[in-house]
Amino acid sequence: MKHLSELLFPLIAVIAAFIVGGIFVLIIGDDPILTYQLLIGSALSWPDGIGYTLFYATPLIFTGLAVAVAFRCGLLNIGTEGQLYVAAFAAAWISIKLGGTVVGGVNYSWASLPALALVPIACLVAILMGAFWAAIPGYLKARFGSHEVINTIMMNFIGIALVSYFTQYYYKTPGDPIMETAEIGVAAHIPRLGSFIPGIPTRLPLNVAFLLAILACVLVYIFLWKTKWGYEIRATGANPSAAEYGGIAVRKQIVLAMAVSGGLAGMVGINEVLGYRYRYYEGFSASYGFTGIAVALLGRNHPVGVFLAALLFGMLNRGGIFVDAFTDHVSKDLVEVLQAVVILFVACEAFFRGSFNRFSLLRRSKV
Amino acid sequence: MRFRSLATLALLCLLVSVLLTPACTTQSRERDDKSKLHVGIVFDIGGKDDRSFNAAAWQGVKRAEKDFPIVLRDVEPGNPTSIEPAMRAFAERGYNLVIGVGFAQSPIMERVAKDYPNVNFAIIDGVIDLPNVASLVFMEHQGSYLVGMIAARTSKTGVLGFIGGMDIPLIHRFAVGYTEGAKAVNPNIQVIQNYVGVTDAAWNNPGKGKELALAQISKGADIIFTAAGNSGLGAFDAVEQYGKQNGRAQRFVIGVDSNQNGVKPGFVLTSMVKRVDNVVYQLVQELVAGRFTGGFHVYGLKEDGVGYAMDQFNQELISPDTLKQVEEAKQKIINGEIQVTDAMKK
Repeated sequence: MKHLSELLFPLIAVIAAFIVGGIFVLIIGDDPILTYQLLIGSALSWPDGIGYTLFYATPLIFTGLAVAVAFRCGLLNIGTEGQLYVAAFAAAWISIKLGGTVVGGVNYSWASLPALALVPIACLVAILMGAFWAAIPGYLKARFGSHEVINTIMMNFIGIALVSYFTQYYYKTPGDPIMETAEIGVAAHIPRLGSFIPGIPTRLPLNVAFLLAILACVLVYIFLWKTKWGYEIRATGANPSAAEYGGIAVRKQIVLAMAVSGGLAGMVGINEVLGYRYRYYEGFSASYGFTGIAVALLGRNHPVGVFLAALLFGMLNRGGIFVDAFTDHVSKDLVEVLQAVVILFVACEAFFRGSFNRFSLLRRSKV
Repeated sequence: MRFRSLATLALLCLLVSVLLTPACTTQSRERDDKSKLHVGIVFDIGGKDDRSFNAAAWQGVKRAEKDFPIVLRDVEPGNPTSIEPAMRAFAERGYNLVIGVGFAQSPIMERVAKDYPNVNFAIIDGVIDLPNVASLVFMEHQGSYLVGMIAARTSKTGVLGFIGGMDIPLIHRFAVGYTEGAKAVNPNIQVIQNYVGVTDAAWNNPGKGKELALAQISKGADIIFTAAGNSGLGAFDAVEQYGKQNGRAQRFVIGVDSNQNGVKPGFVLTSMVKRVDNVVYQLVQELVAGRFTGGFHVYGLKEDGVGYAMDQFNQELISPDTLKQVEEAKQKIINGEIQVTDAMKK
């Protein structure tokens, strides 16, 4: 029962958002039913729709988990965007350096490692870089008490500008008008699901990073609810003073939670760099970091909820393209309206919960 | 107990409705007329209202939609991860032509076009070597040559300016053509070249564009050609600052891509126009006539793909004598008597 009601209120928020969105569609001058059929149908068609929905959901699972872990410790990590940028660049950098990249006779690399060594190294570098970038504001919070919201936002600017600088002046192939690094070594590519699961076309960019995302959901659950560290983090989030009184090193927990959060955000780089573009591409993130906050909120900071919320947002992303292309008036902005209204309704959840309880109480008293 | 059953019911309803919807979507699209040719256009991140490149492409397809029996659909991807599925969305549905706007889309289109050999693709400003892709390339150096001639003949100081946006081969093409045209008129003329930057931000920095223009003017330049997108508008402000004497501006600027003569009337000598709209229109026309072909499509002076803009704003700024000479040079370029260096050919 407890779990069901946890699911129910976000569901009501989603349905309510769709109704409000439908009214907007009606005002704009299209048929809301057809528009929603297009939106949902294109997101759930097999194989392209589902493939792309899961592909879009992958980075959001990572960022949603990242925000959720920090939130469980009472921290608001708004810096996932910057963390995933530096991590993606770091993953591309190490895969160029150790992947034997040669472009136009210029050797960019130090060594040429086999895939078995290079892929784990590149993944680890992405995670560690994200963790490092998030641990800085974590440390500042723990040591000096400066607010993590301000610091993580500032770290976004620094991180995104820094990697943009490195891309432009050191790792772009000469003459390339597009802001991207040289291609990473072939050994660093992680396979698309279509290449080893029969029935999935290889053209879909859905890759092993999606499986890593599912694994991350499981690991985050175990970490938060089945380990001592997770307990300490949650205790710190619930009541720092009580946690400290209970013998938990609160400051250490803050740095740890931020580092885990940043590491999860950094895993977006695995999906983008090792699994899709095979290079670092300036501006690759469709603000995954910020959408991650909404995903965590809708998913109630629980791995299962985050997974489902990321699927929903992935569906909206996928369907939004079709709504933009194949309706007469509605543009892709409808999806943003829907996302915003979902978040709004989730935020007003207390109101729903209150009226729902009153409603069921009334019913019960009549019986 | 009642609460629980209500919740379960709501859940079930949603599940059923979600599962049923994909089944009926196929019918909902039938209002698209199947007998017509389908054209899809995928814009760059800038979107269709950028008043320049994307807008010109949009005008072209809109005009084609009015004149020919086609179904036109467009996508503004908004972020780089949406470009590929947008192209695939059109290709999956069997669109006859998918147009990509801007060189940044070329690696993506190359991947998509390989998967759909029966769909025609076209990329503007990019080059893809596939039989089903038309690469639409402009000979900007030819148009730049002509505006270079106009500038050299109009200049009083013997010093010209060139402001490029991003320092890339595509923009060098403008600079080289412009310089050659100017030197053809006056071998001793000096052309000062500056670039706004080396990142994408270089297209959108009017402040730096104005600074560069003022610096060039202080070195004696009296006519400045901009190929810098939005940054070029800074140079427009700079020349305006020097005002007019006896009704004639002291310093001039030359616009780019679309006809910018009316942006600051009297201060814009001419514009080096790139007729993206015409080219896109022609492309659809060829598709409708069944004459669509892949490969290189090069648009120079001959095809009316590039040129210089003359209208009521600048007809008094350029002497008839100059125009005559420029028209002669244009004919010579078309005949091949004058070969303008293409900076992108190594």
